[in-house]
Amino acid sequence: MWLSILGLILGISLGLLTDIQIPPEYANYLSIAVLASLDTLFGGIRAHLQQVYDDKVFVSGFFFNIALAAGLAFLGVHLGVDLYLAAIFAFGVRLFQNIAVIRRIILAKWAEKKEVRETI
Amino acid sequence: MKTPKKNNRKSFSKSIVFSLVFLVLGFIMAYSYSLSSANKETKGFTGGAFFEQEEQYREELIDQQERNKDLRDELQEKQSGVQEYERSFADGEDRYTEYAAEAEELRRFLGLVPVQGNGLKVTLQDGDYNPDSVNPNDYIVHESHVFQVINELYISGAQAISINGQRIHGNSYIVCTGPVITVDGVQYPAPFVIEAIGEPEVLTSSIELTGGIMDQLINDNIIVTLDGGQVIEMPALLTES
Repeated sequence: MWLSILGLILGISLGLLTDIQIPPEYANYLSIAVLASLDTLFGGIRAHLQQVYDDKVFVSGFFFNIALAAGLAFLGVHLGVDLYLAAIFAFGVRLFQNIAVIRRIILAKWAEKKEVRETI
Repeated sequence: MKTPKKNNRKSFSKSIVFSLVFLVLGFIMAYSYSLSSANKETKGFTGGAFFEQEEQYREELIDQQERNKDLRDELQEKQSGVQEYERSFADGEDRYTEYAAEAEELRRFLGLVPVQGNGLKVTLQDGDYNPDSVNPNDYIVHESHVFQVINELYISGAQAISINGQRIHGNSYIVCTGPVITVDGVQYPAPFVIEAIGEPEVLTSSIELTGGIMDQLINDNIIVTLDGGQVIEMPALLTES
């Protein structure tokens, strides 16, 4: 737990401190990557809550989704098709679904706890 | 005991993986954030590109206007110079007559032009032979006498002088060569006729001044004849007499 928080802080500081300038058209890839990573993160949380969590799936999904989203955006830019919209759409929908599922599960747990308390 | 340890190690590796994942996540998000903020700045810049261009054009315009102003100033200066020149030209027109008169006068002094006008004619003649005197120098006309007369005439305003019809100019020389005198290489015997153009009365009175040239000449036994009030003509210096 500590290590993951440390990694997060380290990553954020690293990202803020890096002064590499990339062309603005490549910023799209990065936004897609952010979206993919968020999606994977929430997917992992949901899986954890649903007791179907798997390390390998999560880690591979995390990196693979990022790479795939960036690659798709890259391909789209070079083909002249806005393929990154597809990635945004897909990841956005999944993100909302995942969050909705997480919310429901938490609500259900909360309600369950309350019920248990009331019964006691 | 064995399982918790294994579990521990597993959780440790898991946390390492998680830390790696979070590191990547944090990096991507932070980098994206900083990039987007930088982008916004550049966007501001691109939005300001027009502004910048406008500014540039404005600066160019100002430069041009300044240059125009400089050129205008220069033009004005030149024009005033031309005006000055014209004014001096107009002044010069008045002065030209003065200059011409002065040049005429100077030419008269130099003997470059033939002149004619009222003047005085001074004739210096050797004295009569005096048997009492042993030295003939006592009664002949010397070049110093001629000098004195000429100087006196010039001092009293003579504009042109000639000796026996030969013009005297700035570089003239008068040398005594025995019984004759040489004026500019031409020998003349007595009598010497010195003609001067000027005011006859002034010239005459200056010659006749008491204790002046006249008295000295008479003292030297020289016969002096003054003849004023007639028109004298003199040739130019370069014309053959």
